[in-house]
Amino acid sequence: MKIATQDSAKSRRSRSTEAVILFCIGAQTFAIAADAVQEIRSTDSLATAAVEMEFAEVPKVRHLVERSHRTYYVVSGCAHFGLRVTRPTLVLILRQIRTAVLVDSIERMADVSAVHALPQAFQGEERQWYRGLIYLEDRVIPVIKPDGFLTPNEFARLDRAAKAIESRKELEGTVQA
Amino acid sequence: MSGPENHARKSWVLLHVGNRRFALPAESVMELAPPVRLHNFPHTSRLIAGVIVRRGRIVPVYDVCPVLCGRESSVHRFYLIAERAFGAGNEASEASAIPVNGECELASGEMLPPQENAPPYFAGTLAIENANIDVLDLQKLVSAEINNPTAANHAELRP
Repeated sequence: MKIATQDSAKSRRSRSTEAVILFCIGAQTFAIAADAVQEIRSTDSLATAAVEMEFAEVPKVRHLVERSHRTYYVVSGCAHFGLRVTRPTLVLILRQIRTAVLVDSIERMADVSAVHALPQAFQGEERQWYRGLIYLEDRVIPVIKPDGFLTPNEFARLDRAAKAIESRKELEGTVQA
Repeated sequence: MSGPENHARKSWVLLHVGNRRFALPAESVMELAPPVRLHNFPHTSRLIAGVIVRRGRIVPVYDVCPVLCGRESSVHRFYLIAERAFGAGNEASEASAIPVNGECELASGEMLPPQENAPPYFAGTLAIENANIDVLDLQKLVSAEINNPTAANHAELRP
């Protein structure tokens, strides 16, 4: 992700630390590797570019957006993590993965020196959600796995739905012409 | 925890969960931790109340009171930290915390077989101070619920 202070921050950062972005969904703070995020946009700025996915193939995905000739599926962070529904104001567009994530706010960036493994006691979906945990300023914060938002199966279903939307638009365009 | 025969005439830590006393083998107990902040984050694993941080380690906290006593308990402020083994052997274990009320004591005695129809997470009983105290098998206690197929049955494998 490009931010103004990146270069100076990078020079201060030792090789053993990792830059993360802390973001909030509801009252919960999460972390994601800064390298995994391509850009952060407001939901308002993407509203005109977003295409509604009416068929709800994957309930947590209601929209897709085209960015740099790629289709990104917009995942509701609340629905993904089973949190109380909020009104997200930002979209994290991920790098290398065709996923964008609706979040409420960005808290800040931080350099972390260690990501602790998720304890083996956690055996549910969270093993796919989180890379591990960080302990930062007396808080334990889960670190997101960027590829954990959508499964290959979910991508395939969404791709089919996106193609259907595209075909319908082409057909509507032909009829109008 | 290994078989009951290995725990005969050993030391035990007696702990209070709800209004009942239970025992854990003393060699599996690491420490009684003071009230510290319980951290939580979204997950789908049953029985896990969150995690605490002790001596630089992140320790999962199992809320076993509903299983052992059939109800929630609000009086637990301390954490008894014990090793929980994973798998059949003891090749992998993890520090695990149980909320307790802080009244723990060391006792020695001979473990007797569990009572008939006792749940599988009771490894046996101790006769101490005219009372029968159930000995907990921590691994079975927490995995009985965690391995329940309904716990994460809607999880899909992700790459």
